[in-house]
Amino acid sequence: MTIDVIARPARARPVTLRRISNRSGLNTAAGHLLMVLLSIFCLFPVYWMLVSSFRPANTLFETSLWPTQPSLDNYTRAVDAIPIARMLINTLVFSAVSTVFQLLTGILAAFAFARWKFPFDKLVYTGVALTWLVPFQVVMIPNYLLIAQMGLLDSVLALILPNIAAALAIMLLAQAMRGFPKEVIEAARMDGASNWRVLWEVLVPNLRGTIASLAILIFISTWNEYFWPLLLSRTAENSVIQIGIQMFMTAEGNQWGPLMAASTLASLPVLVIYVVLQRQVVQSFMKSGIR
Amino acid sequence: MAIAAHAPTRLRRISNARWAPWLYLAPALITLVVWIYWPLVDAVRLSFFQWNMLPNSPQVFVGWENYQRIFALPKFWQALRNTGVYVLGLLPLAVLIPLAIAIYTHDLPERSRNIYRAIIFVPMIIAPVVAAAVWRWLLDPAYGLANQAIKGVGLDPVKFLSDPNVAIWTVIAITGWKLMGFSTLILSAANANINPTLIEAARMDGAGKWEIIRDVRLPLLSSTVLFLVVMTILLGAQWSFTYINVLTGGGPLGATTNIYYLLWDFGFSTMSVGWGSASAVILFLGFGVLAFVLFRLIDRYSFHDN
Repeated sequence: MTIDVIARPARARPVTLRRISNRSGLNTAAGHLLMVLLSIFCLFPVYWMLVSSFRPANTLFETSLWPTQPSLDNYTRAVDAIPIARMLINTLVFSAVSTVFQLLTGILAAFAFARWKFPFDKLVYTGVALTWLVPFQVVMIPNYLLIAQMGLLDSVLALILPNIAAALAIMLLAQAMRGFPKEVIEAARMDGASNWRVLWEVLVPNLRGTIASLAILIFISTWNEYFWPLLLSRTAENSVIQIGIQMFMTAEGNQWGPLMAASTLASLPVLVIYVVLQRQVVQSFMKSGIR
Repeated sequence: MAIAAHAPTRLRRISNARWAPWLYLAPALITLVVWIYWPLVDAVRLSFFQWNMLPNSPQVFVGWENYQRIFALPKFWQALRNTGVYVLGLLPLAVLIPLAIAIYTHDLPERSRNIYRAIIFVPMIIAPVVAAAVWRWLLDPAYGLANQAIKGVGLDPVKFLSDPNVAIWTVIAITGWKLMGFSTLILSAANANINPTLIEAARMDGAGKWEIIRDVRLPLLSSTVLFLVVMTILLGAQWSFTYINVLTGGGPLGATTNIYYLLWDFGFSTMSVGWGSASAVILFLGFGVLAFVLFRLIDRYSFHDN
């Protein structure tokens, strides 16, 4: 499902202007109030995580909205408890490599669907699309056994392997490539360019917007991935940061300070991407639906 | 594609085209077959065996026994019921409230709308584990901010995660927190995409504010709403998995276990591959039938303008 956000403002504006002028400001004020409340609800937990992470143990249970004696105490404790740097690097490798491979396999497969008619093409496309609907919990046991047979348990490579192709990337790219003007492709072919060159020198450069937003989406979702690493993890050194966070929550008790510090560190890369590329991030998520 | 235009090269291209698409498809298809289709087949096979996942122990063929046992388990039916509760509980948070907010705030100025949009999207990009950790902290029975506030006004602290009657609603609310902003954005975008001349025309015909919402906006939003409803039904219980795993472990007394968590529990806590696979097959078939019916409904009832 694609929602075109960009096409909106131009034609919505004149009507909006007129409407505001002939209506009391009361409605708008109530609308603002509603949105402010929703914004607080959405943002406050994240803010509270940040604030708590800067509170040293002796002031942790304060309820002031601002840390009274800010310190990096929790961060040093978190770094001492688990190999955070190593886990962050693992997460980065996992996310970056998965993103690159999903884009590569996606671009190639999408090109096949967009460029040619071939026997069973519709069936194959449906087969790809259907994998998007298979809950991971259904295939997890065989996947786990396969990784175990390969002797790859407890490795970053094992995390990456099932993620080197995904239905979502293939479908979004195929959709974009089908929308690309056929005449341009034909013209390039007439000039003697091979299909391979048409793909990499005509299609890919022209679709870089789509590819970039897909890359953001895959990177963030892989960064946040929890279930598959949870299955495979044996040692902290070979695991991702999401598993590291979980280590501060145990049945015996929670180390709230370091937990909030580790959570902040785990969220930082994604939040930075979001702050820098806010528009693109929102659009890439909205274009691809939920999951 | 204009094949006739290239008559001289046609023969070569056709033989070329016979295997070319498959070459381009190969990396993706091989991955999907190895990690999704083959595992599906393997799950079906394993569901007829009894095995504890240790490589040296034998796989014993037991026929339909795993299935019979699962259907006889009260735990299974409890998880199925809970799955329904998750979906029903999420619908207002992921669809109804966002719909109301989207319609109510559609004429806010563009600039402030963009700011709100940036803020309410934040929960969507936060990792589920981080969300779980933060909510666990906020809802802690002794020191959490929520209970400090509750105690502040003189009430008894609420055991958000350890009271069997409350825990499932807490997990639903946290899942809803993750999704609400996102659904609001989707619905706002759809709402803003409604052709303003339709609204103006209705106004000219003397339609009031509510009539416009009921007779113009809601019908035009119906396909987006339907899409969100279907996604919530299909994936809602799945979105909760991390919160259940991190916050309640399926408890107390199985009160927050849904079907996805039960699968995980069978497969990896109890190490019984047969049960895990049999319930995976049951889930997959149920899920498939549900998805098929829902997508048919979308096809039949979605309503497009233009």
